[in-house]
Amino acid sequence: MVKASTTENPSQSVSPMQTFFIHLICGVGLAVGLWVAHNFYSISLISNPSRTLRLIWVTMCPLVILFYSCFRKNPEKCSYLKAVIRGVLALPIGALVNALGAIALGAPVGIQYFPKTVNWSLLMSLFTFVPAASVFGSSWEDWRRIFAHTKPNASVDYMICLPAHGAVIGAWFGAWPMPLDWERPWQEWPICVSYGAMAGYLITMVLSFVLVLARGGQQHPKAD
Amino acid sequence: MSQMTCKSLTIITLAGVIIQMIGLSLFVWGFFPVKPALTGVSGPESYRAPAFDSDENYGNISLPPHQLRSLYQDLSGIPPSFDRLILLVIDGLPAEFVLGKDGNPPRKAFMEAMPYTQSLLANGMAIGYHAKAAPPTVTMPRLKAMVSGAIGGFLDVAFNFNTQAMADDNLLGQFSSIGWKMVMHGDDTWLKLFPGLFTRHDGVSSFFVKDTIQVDQNVSRHLVDELSRDDWNLLILHYLGLDHVGHIGGRSSLLMAPKLAEMDEVVKMIHTSILTRENDQGWTLLVVVSDHGMTENGNHGGSSFEEADSLALFVGLRGHVSDYKSATQNTAQQVDIAPTLALLLGVPIPKNNVGVLIAETFDQLKDDHQLRALELNSWQLFRLLDAQISCLSCANISLNDFSDGQPSVTTECNDSLEKMFCCLYMNAAVLHSTWKSKKVSQSSSWEDYNSTVIAYHKFLKTASEWLSSRATDKPVDLLAFGVTAMLLSCLVLLSLTLHMGREINLIEKLHHYHSNNDMQMCFLDEIFVLGVILILVISMASSSMVEEEHYIWHFMSSTLFLILLRKTVQLLPAQNSLSKGTKNFKFQMCSVFVLLISGRILRGCHQGGVNWTHLPDISKWLENSGGVHVKTVQLVSGVSVVILGFCFLSLLSSKKNVILVVGFNFLVSGLLVLVHIVKYQENAFARSSYGATISAQMIYAVLGSTTVGTAVLSPWFMPIQISKVGSSRDIYSSISVPSDVKDKSLLMALKDSLYVIGWAYIFSWCLLQLLLQQPINAMPILLLLVQILTSLLHFSYSGLHHKEWVEISTLYFLGMAGHFALGNSNSLATIDVAGAFIVRGALHQECQFRTSSPDNAGLSLSGSADLKFNSIDSIHNCIAVNEESFICLECIFSEYIELLQKNQELVVPAAFHRISFKNMAALKHCFLLSMIVAFSLSSFQMSMAARNLLQAPAGPLPTLPPMPKVALPPMPSIPTLPQATLPPLPTLPNQPTLPKLPTLPPMPAAPKVTLPPLPSNPIPTTIPSIPNIPSTIPTIPFLSPPPST
Repeated sequence: MVKASTTENPSQSVSPMQTFFIHLICGVGLAVGLWVAHNFYSISLISNPSRTLRLIWVTMCPLVILFYSCFRKNPEKCSYLKAVIRGVLALPIGALVNALGAIALGAPVGIQYFPKTVNWSLLMSLFTFVPAASVFGSSWEDWRRIFAHTKPNASVDYMICLPAHGAVIGAWFGAWPMPLDWERPWQEWPICVSYGAMAGYLITMVLSFVLVLARGGQQHPKAD
Repeated sequence: MSQMTCKSLTIITLAGVIIQMIGLSLFVWGFFPVKPALTGVSGPESYRAPAFDSDENYGNISLPPHQLRSLYQDLSGIPPSFDRLILLVIDGLPAEFVLGKDGNPPRKAFMEAMPYTQSLLANGMAIGYHAKAAPPTVTMPRLKAMVSGAIGGFLDVAFNFNTQAMADDNLLGQFSSIGWKMVMHGDDTWLKLFPGLFTRHDGVSSFFVKDTIQVDQNVSRHLVDELSRDDWNLLILHYLGLDHVGHIGGRSSLLMAPKLAEMDEVVKMIHTSILTRENDQGWTLLVVVSDHGMTENGNHGGSSFEEADSLALFVGLRGHVSDYKSATQNTAQQVDIAPTLALLLGVPIPKNNVGVLIAETFDQLKDDHQLRALELNSWQLFRLLDAQISCLSCANISLNDFSDGQPSVTTECNDSLEKMFCCLYMNAAVLHSTWKSKKVSQSSSWEDYNSTVIAYHKFLKTASEWLSSRATDKPVDLLAFGVTAMLLSCLVLLSLTLHMGREINLIEKLHHYHSNNDMQMCFLDEIFVLGVILILVISMASSSMVEEEHYIWHFMSSTLFLILLRKTVQLLPAQNSLSKGTKNFKFQMCSVFVLLISGRILRGCHQGGVNWTHLPDISKWLENSGGVHVKTVQLVSGVSVVILGFCFLSLLSSKKNVILVVGFNFLVSGLLVLVHIVKYQENAFARSSYGATISAQMIYAVLGSTTVGTAVLSPWFMPIQISKVGSSRDIYSSISVPSDVKDKSLLMALKDSLYVIGWAYIFSWCLLQLLLQQPINAMPILLLLVQILTSLLHFSYSGLHHKEWVEISTLYFLGMAGHFALGNSNSLATIDVAGAFIVRGALHQECQFRTSSPDNAGLSLSGSADLKFNSIDSIHNCIAVNEESFICLECIFSEYIELLQKNQELVVPAAFHRISFKNMAALKHCFLLSMIVAFSLSSFQMSMAARNLLQAPAGPLPTLPPMPKVALPPMPSIPTLPQATLPPLPTLPNQPTLPKLPTLPPMPAAPKVTLPPLPSNPIPTTIPSIPNIPSTIPTIPFLSPPPST
């Protein structure tokens, strides 16, 4: 935390090291969540998806919000606290959007699915909305650039855009085994979708790091 | 760039489509071969050797039954072993439960549940077989196979849907010709198959799958009485309970052991009664069979070992079975039961039998009788071979070839097919005759006998295998040719489209529209649409993806909507110019949301497919909540459809008389449909009453005349208005093409009339569906209409930002998703045939009464329930599509019919709309449209081809649905099956909608060349063909779904 606050000044331009660090933290947070669920509560995504998802997002939530808030846009106009609050507010909103999207795509509706859907969408919100909200706030142009056009410019854009897209696309592909008649427990909603989302998230974090690394040298000329 | 002339374009397109159709028909022809079956029944001639050259005409058999009986006895030379037969059919009993598997005894619980049967097996009183059943392992085809010994061709499943009576030669017919009295208690499938044949019967319905007790009690209660009577020769008992137990709880259900114990009681009761009456009543044979097995989950239909493992247990043979092991570890084919029973009971073997007698059951006979039985079976199979191989002539292989040397079993017969069969047959025949002559001279040896038996079995086995494989083999060259032709046409159309696209791009570049800054982003939806085709083709490789295809379509269409949402946000004007486009933008956003929401509701309407049908859905919920709610929803939907119809008609810029007339017609037909709903859809009885039929026919007439009239007349009367360039209310004036005003106004009129025609068509379709579909489907129809309209509006508002083919395929996705949302699935069982009764259904009522015979009044079908198979009893009626390639084909086949339908339903009207929306691009549309059709067809073809390739290496023998071909039912005695159901099949030939598409291209070209005088407008000539379509849409009214067990 101390280290992060010292590096908050350069805001927009993030060094590859910082990217790596953030992604590592997020990945570790994800792993820790799973690990804690497995070892301390002896549950897994399959045996108790709802609680496991909750553990994961609770573990990841502070990490994501606190660390991404360090890279907020216009740090001089916007205090660190404000960025954190934006991130916290974006969590339920993003969860709502994600849940609606999932339901539109066919996620089951019903009382018994409700906690699963809620926890899954909170996790998805952490993957997609929260970082963007912490960094961009309510800047419509930035949101549109990242999510509608998928045109990341700066390093921080890559850090947000790629993992978010990766999580969504991973979740989309993760839904494919669901109608198959393999009769495996993990074919239930939202288990394989969560696995897909996590896989997509992790893969695209690596990709985002590589891209940030690749464009490290030519960062400034391309910024305009 | 070379400019293609209009003429050459048309010709090439036409050629492409025609090639496509030829290829498709070749493929279908090759894929579903229709096998010749012998007509007529076996008579006395079957006891004579097949004459090779002369025609076998032994005169007609008009002998009275008892004479025929003694004639058969004399001719056959085998003393009939039994006088009476009890056929105990236990539906769905896997042989494994009784006989064990792979040398292991059955599960302990099952052994203990059936003590009597097990003791019979252990004492050598019974001999059991794993009788391998051919797919589809559902009751009716299996019963047919057992009594006729034949395996039907694939298409029989489809063609014989409403065929009830069995017209082919079969055991029961043979029995009745020798004057046997027959009694049947149990599954009413027997009554449908053999109407009027039973002197007494009590049919129970397999419909109430949850009932595992009453259904069997209704059979058992007759048992004591029947066993004490001696006025029957054949008693058929068909117990359904065990199958129902399987459907509810699978193999390991807790109810299974008690049910087996109950069956064991029945066996015990019958057998003790046989034993006590043995001397005064003659010999009675008890045969316990099952029609099919079941999977671990209790489903059946496929060809896995568990499903095909049916039982054949012969009790009461006087032969000697040494030990338990040899009594239980035998295998046979299910079709073998037919010749075995025929020979044991002294009737000719049915003509189309492909089975081989089960040797051990003849052990009690003398040697010469056993050989005679083999000989009779060989003669029958030889006749069948003769019919199937056109040039099977053994005349040139004279007996002399064999008689000079000592014939032996080891004679090599590796010649061509015909020669091989001849050789094998002659070999056996010669050995037999040598044995006979030796026997006369008392010099016959055991070796001679043995070699004769082996020779006969060799021939029988070879012939049987070949004959059953005939049912499945497919002419590869025909298939390859068909696929090639279809690929070729795809290439032609594709290159044509690319060519057109390039030209249009060029034109667009010349004119305007290249201010677009983010071109590369706009392609996501296009890539996705192309990707969907790929995904679909790949997903067809997985049987469960075929079963659960509705998930794919919903997933795809929703994803496409989400992508459209994203695109809408992308295209949102930048913030500085927000005020101008914001309203438009909001509307587009809303329309996508409407699409998503209604799509999700549609998805929730019916839990289709196979594995998740039990989950709650909206239709179940509505049905449980009572008829009033259903009716309310139905009425609200009907009214909304009518209101929507008017709203969209009034969107048209010119409000002239034509519109008023069309609107009036809408009103009349809408009101008629509503009245019909209110008055007649209360219950099935009213539904099929005279008044209801008349009212439905009136609706048909009004709708038909509206669509036809609109299509024919509107282009003539549509006023040409000299309007300003695109009035503001004109929802489809998103493009303005620079042209002179007169041209413009003509195009406007053309546009308007096309709009009216298309809209009249869509509206009529909706009303027709409201009339024909189940009440529960009214809401899905409304939602579908809303979706279609919303997507049309969305696209017309978003202007040129979407490619036309993306728009058309969006509509196509909508159509497919909607098809499944109406409760359809890829299983033939979910085809709702109720609609067929609405218009032509006076006979329907009788059907109702018959199914509820007085004896099982408690189970009588109420209301219109009997025809709504999918909602009441989907578990049971789904031909379980487990891992079974051939049924998947069936799925694809039915899907293909649906697909064509959907093309008609949605793409065609949609195309008309698009044409009217964007007049200048009309030419493009036609090609794109045919492209889409070609794509969908080719994806179908590819999956078919892939299936075929997958299927080829696997032993093709048994994969044929063994439904014997049954010629159209004469059925004079039972009028239950209204012929009304036949009309469906014509839908197939109706595909020709395809060729209509290519006729469109000339249309838009006309305005370009010269301004045609209005009356000679080319449109009327092409359009009239459209209105024919609605008549084909209704449902594919195959009559009854496959007889579920």
